[in-house]
Amino acid sequence: MKNREFAAFVAPSMLALVVFTIIPLVVAFGLSFESYDYWTLDARVFVGFRNYVDILTDSRFWDAFRFTLLIMAAVTPTEIFMGSVVALLLDQISKRVRGIFVALALTTYVSVPVVASYMFRGLFYTGGLGNWLFALLTGQNLFLDETSVKIILIIYQLWRDTPFVILVVFAGLQSLPDELLDQAAIDGANRLVQLRYVAIPHLAPLLVLVAMTILGALYNIFDPIFVITGMNPSYHADSIMAYNWRTATQFGQLGKANAMALLITIGSILLRFPFLYSTWRSQVEER
Amino acid sequence: MRPIRNRFAKLLIYLGLAVYVVSTAMPFVWTLLQSLKTVRDANSAVPLFIFEPTLESYAKLWLLETPENLSLILFGILVASLTVFFLAIFLSRHGAPQFIVVGVVVGGFALILWTIPQLMKMADWYDFFTNTVIITTCAVTISISLSATAGYAIARKRGVSGAILLVVALGLGSLPPMAFAMPYYQLSAMLQIQDSFILVIAVMVGLQQPFSIWMLRGFFMEIPRDIDESAMIDGASRLRAFWSVVMPISWPGVVAVAILNVLGVYHNFLIIRVLTILRWTLAVGITKYVGSIYAATDTVPFAAAVSASLPLLILVFFFQDQLVKGLGAGAVKG
Repeated sequence: MKNREFAAFVAPSMLALVVFTIIPLVVAFGLSFESYDYWTLDARVFVGFRNYVDILTDSRFWDAFRFTLLIMAAVTPTEIFMGSVVALLLDQISKRVRGIFVALALTTYVSVPVVASYMFRGLFYTGGLGNWLFALLTGQNLFLDETSVKIILIIYQLWRDTPFVILVVFAGLQSLPDELLDQAAIDGANRLVQLRYVAIPHLAPLLVLVAMTILGALYNIFDPIFVITGMNPSYHADSIMAYNWRTATQFGQLGKANAMALLITIGSILLRFPFLYSTWRSQVEER
Repeated sequence: MRPIRNRFAKLLIYLGLAVYVVSTAMPFVWTLLQSLKTVRDANSAVPLFIFEPTLESYAKLWLLETPENLSLILFGILVASLTVFFLAIFLSRHGAPQFIVVGVVVGGFALILWTIPQLMKMADWYDFFTNTVIITTCAVTISISLSATAGYAIARKRGVSGAILLVVALGLGSLPPMAFAMPYYQLSAMLQIQDSFILVIAVMVGLQQPFSIWMLRGFFMEIPRDIDESAMIDGASRLRAFWSVVMPISWPGVVAVAILNVLGVYHNFLIIRVLTILRWTLAVGITKYVGSIYAATDTVPFAAAVSASLPLLILVFFFQDQLVKGLGAGAVKG
């Protein structure tokens, strides 16, 4: 492709990118050095690095950061494990019945996160199925407090995102050549050995990608926290994105919130770095 | 893996899948059941599974007042939608140009959506619904047109220039939503375009670009270069070769990306919520029904949850294969 053609083809898309992602970033960068009121969009004062210092010494920011890391650490491996197990089970059953399971997984995957959070929250209203089951199993009533809200959040996340792992791993299993497994079986490998030494190595690159996708999404987790905690500060269940929202819309500190968004961005880029690097390699080398 | 023959193991497999189905489906089933109950049934101390279903909560959600001839109007809407649908199929079977078919579908459904509030008084939820339709349709159409050309160019361009664009785009695509939301809030106030469709659509297009470019590049890389190059030797321009030769064989991939785009726009909550005052989409609109106005005990939020999910379920029903393909490709190609 000639350079001129290339420029003409990418220009519209790049224009959209520059206008809608780069300009806002520049604005955010500028605002992050100011003290600025959210409601009136007034009272702008240049404060230098004070916003950044404020954030790094703000214990609630670090609480939110720790909670976000906790969610990432708790949810990612569990989801990958559960999703892979269900995908392996799906692989075992006949094609005719499989459709139902795939459709259910897809239903969960396409559900709107905010709406799905409401559905999950609905289980724990009075007269809700979740409340009733909890009382039935433990003999106690379920009260929403700091701990139970956090557990509900984690279970919600497992429920909402495991189907994604199932769908992707199942697709990966379909591309696993049966001949390899048969050879292993002839060599006397039982199923567990086949799984350990043939299937898992085959799926490994896929699982790494899935893990990175999930980690990236969890890092920005917001919708379920907004819905399930109702942004009630007494639960101390803010993620960094939720605390960022709170700083902007409840404390009205737009400058500080912008600075926080930029600090969060650094982590976001670091998380995506392996993916960016592999994309770079494939684009430069393949041709 | 080869299927297991052992009977006992088979039983365990189905048992495991049953646990998965029950636990995954439970919130959906429960929401559907709650939405069909009267307020009293919904709040009974022991969860009710057998009750007399009512559509009261849906009427409360969609309508300001229930007209006497409601069933007649609903029947009319159904007939009109089917007419548009079959007219489009009829036209495309008989070789009408594509833009006429698309025009009939878009125009027909727009007319239906416009007529409904003339016939009966609709509640806010209907506005959220039409807003979602308008924003999603426009944003996805524009986003796909832009990213398809860019993705094609990057797939066909050797060397570093394409790689730089791609990596910068993907880097920008991974930024947290708040990093966009606040500057947009500020800019829209400065430019006096708060709460306009144009702003929301433009922002959605920008946000969908990186991922769409990357996925479409993957699909276009699978199409051999010889195909477009031979068309160009025959005298076609690059644009002509792209549009008339490459695109017709790339539709499955493009549709898959378009569906993921629809999900991206439809799911968006934070940015649309910050950018809009009244022009809420369904995902934002549902927050209205929980909290101060409606008690936690009402059934309207459940009806809202079901109503907001239905359009996507219809989408899955029609495009299940493309969706699975898109998901797989998105994760596999890396």
